[in-house]
Amino acid sequence: MSPWLRTMLRSPLVILLALVLIWFIVAFLLYPNVVNLQQIFFPHGSFTVRAFTKLWESQRALDSLRNSFVLAAVLAVTVNAVGIFVVLVTRYFAVRGARLLWLGYATTLIYGGVVAVAGYRFVYGDHGYATRLLVKLIPGLDPEWFSGMLAVVVVMTLTTTGYHLLFLSSAIARIDQQTVEAARQLGASTWRVLWRVVLPMLKPTLFAVTVLTFLGGLTAFAAPQVLGGRQFETITPMILTFAGIPSSRDLAVTLALILGAATLLLLAILNRMQAGGTYFSVAKVSATLQRQRIENPVANVVVHVVAYGLFVVYLIPPALIVVFSFTDSAAISTGRLSWDSFTLANYERVLTHATASWPIVVSIVYAGVTAIVVIAMMLFVARFLQKVVNAFTITLEYLLHIPWMLPTTLLAIGLIVTYSQRQPLVGGVVLTGTVALLAIAYISAKIPLTLRILKAAYAGIPDSLEEAAAVLGASVPRTYVKVLLPLVLPAAAAVSALNFNSLLDDYDTAAFLAHPLYQPLGITIESAAVGSGNSDSTALIFVYTVVLMVISTLTMWFVYGRRSTNR
Amino acid sequence: MKARSLLPTMAALATAALIVSGCGSPAASSAAGAGDGGGSDNLVIYSNSVSDGRGDWLKAEAKKAGFTIQYVDLGGGDIKNRLVAEKNNPVADVTFGLNNVYFNQLKAAGVLDQYAPSWASKVDPKLGDPDQEFYPIVREPIMLVWNKAAYPDAAKAPADWPDLWTKPQFKGTYETPSDLGGATAQVVLAGILARYRDDNGEDGVSKAGWDAIKAFFADGSPAVKGTDLYARMKDGKVDSGEMWLAGKQTREKQYQIQTEAAHPSVGVPMTVQQVALVKGTKKAATAKKFIDWFGGAQLQAAWSKQFFTVPTNTDALPTSEQAAVTATDSFKSQDIDWSFVTQHLDQWVEKTTLDYLNG
Repeated sequence: MSPWLRTMLRSPLVILLALVLIWFIVAFLLYPNVVNLQQIFFPHGSFTVRAFTKLWESQRALDSLRNSFVLAAVLAVTVNAVGIFVVLVTRYFAVRGARLLWLGYATTLIYGGVVAVAGYRFVYGDHGYATRLLVKLIPGLDPEWFSGMLAVVVVMTLTTTGYHLLFLSSAIARIDQQTVEAARQLGASTWRVLWRVVLPMLKPTLFAVTVLTFLGGLTAFAAPQVLGGRQFETITPMILTFAGIPSSRDLAVTLALILGAATLLLLAILNRMQAGGTYFSVAKVSATLQRQRIENPVANVVVHVVAYGLFVVYLIPPALIVVFSFTDSAAISTGRLSWDSFTLANYERVLTHATASWPIVVSIVYAGVTAIVVIAMMLFVARFLQKVVNAFTITLEYLLHIPWMLPTTLLAIGLIVTYSQRQPLVGGVVLTGTVALLAIAYISAKIPLTLRILKAAYAGIPDSLEEAAAVLGASVPRTYVKVLLPLVLPAAAAVSALNFNSLLDDYDTAAFLAHPLYQPLGITIESAAVGSGNSDSTALIFVYTVVLMVISTLTMWFVYGRRSTNR
Repeated sequence: MKARSLLPTMAALATAALIVSGCGSPAASSAAGAGDGGGSDNLVIYSNSVSDGRGDWLKAEAKKAGFTIQYVDLGGGDIKNRLVAEKNNPVADVTFGLNNVYFNQLKAAGVLDQYAPSWASKVDPKLGDPDQEFYPIVREPIMLVWNKAAYPDAAKAPADWPDLWTKPQFKGTYETPSDLGGATAQVVLAGILARYRDDNGEDGVSKAGWDAIKAFFADGSPAVKGTDLYARMKDGKVDSGEMWLAGKQTREKQYQIQTEAAHPSVGVPMTVQQVALVKGTKKAATAKKFIDWFGGAQLQAAWSKQFFTVPTNTDALPTSEQAAVTATDSFKSQDIDWSFVTQHLDQWVEKTTLDYLNG
């Protein structure tokens, strides 16, 4: 047993936290899903392999699965390339107007989903502004050029660099100026410093965001459905259809397990590559990183041009979404603006509705409570799992990733079915129909991402800091609060903001678990969006997207906007 | 490092939200009680038919009649799955709006309770459940609509679904569903496959039936998520597709195009929305009174005028929206054995999704 672990186990608080964690895993991650999977795979007491046969015989399933994997692999490259670039120009290199650029790139943090894809179609779709220009320049260009895999990759690359912007930025801020300076004094060029000194130190964070990007690619939904067409169908729409049909749930689970297993495999490989490395500066007293000048004038110009080009590409779609939110469904579908298509009617419908603000309040409370509970749990858990590596903790770590392994719908159904009866695991209380169940589901769902990011953040902290504090007589909790916590707080803040924003418009979980009197915004949006109504309400979804953009912007401003210095 | 202020900020935000929630809640008086799904006099209604202003209208009318109601407003499939999952401890008191196939599945799962409403004798018993577990409220044709601009000569337009894949001129001109999660898409699928019933065939359908489905999807233009059929028709991307009656009427206005529905000689699938009492509700007495009021002639006629529907309650018909009644009665109801459909629909959706959806 390591001395660290021995010290930890002496604290009753640590023991209590560990027990709570194990209880949470068993009660909410393991047990409901075991019950559920048993019903799905052993419907009559014996295991059925029907799912594998059915999927193997379906060309469409195999093609979609292959496309999902191709997309995930391509995105792991393209998102890293663009993501590293935008972080470097806003945080590392001396680029004029870096703050402004950051704001442009940060737009991906405040919107997403089908509407984000619609934003890109306003520019590049068959009626899009860029397409109209291109058709004039290149006669014979197919107006529908922006479709298929190319379009999906472009849109997803640009809309998923948010992880980099948040987490890589905070990792880069921790790099020690003296290390970079030393390398330069030894004669290393700008690029060599970047390649040999800076990027290697970012490895834990880069690996973590790569896993997130890969999973995002595997489970891509909106972009392939809107832009992929028949040539580029992905697997998630099929999983959703099958999860909704009781007799087809074995197919949904099998497909989801394939995606989940692939993600964990990548995670295991990257963990191995990361093991044993040193991801912090060795300076005794570290100094804040200064912006690096790009000395080659040509390279400098190129970087500036690309940075501002990307800025425009990032900014136009959300800007158009805001503009089109003031128009009607007909204008949105044709992408053409005329004066008489402008209307305030949609905003009126959304905002003056008697109970319009209530779902927003419910969503904010759920998202806020979830973000706080998850970060509190994971700040401790991630440190523990990073310091103590044995078979038991590795198992715990993988169990915490269960929410990545199963379709959201089935996670929710598992919770309802299990907790609609008195369960000793939760003190004999019936949880179905209470406000607690949705919070539990949200907390579970946000654990894997939070854990990955925090583990990466802890990996960038040298043990010597903790040892020094211990030598100086600080207790373990005091060391943690005074020394370690401040160092991981930027990452913790970023992941909390992300968790908060991503829960605001959740539908899949809330549809099953929301209390009738406390229904979050996602349900309102979906009911406006899905065509079960008499009229087509495309325009309403745009209004809701803008409302979400406002809330998300406020969140980001709380987290980032008030900093005094721009690091 | 200003990010240090995150936790207090979040806490402040959550507290503020809680305070706001204390005064702003639509049901501030009722506690978030465990298990009872709301306040004591609050009826919880699960429905897929309350979006687009219908729910607000009904809530106001219900209030006048002395009912306080609260919705869970989800898609048809989600409503069904949630009701089944919550079977042991239901949150809902009443459910309405899903079609007869979904209601048959709910009945099979043991979710519904028997209740014969006061208006039971005013509806055609064939439209509901022989075991009195659900009763019909509204019937609606699921149609093949086509754009008049594309077919100025009505004789050249598709006259029935099979025309689309058997006549070469329609190849690529019609919209097919891109997923089969929605009720309308499922009914269209059932309307086609029910024509090829073969008890020795795969999932109760003959080979010719599966070939027809394969051709239907192969020659169609898949729906685009986020773009309505009427938007695509106006744009000239497609010329025909599936639509329900009330949807046709409102979309024509919204997109300023004229469409016509095919009137096949075999008829069109006529879906029937139902209402039922949820088994295990703790407010059965109020829920029954609500069902009596909701399916009654007066409310159904008013609902019809407001939302272009055709009530099944014959007493409501004279004062209903006559345009909707005329339009619905202009269709022959396709002879579909709905119990056969209920038995096989999930298999059909699975097989079509796996093998045919992308042509």
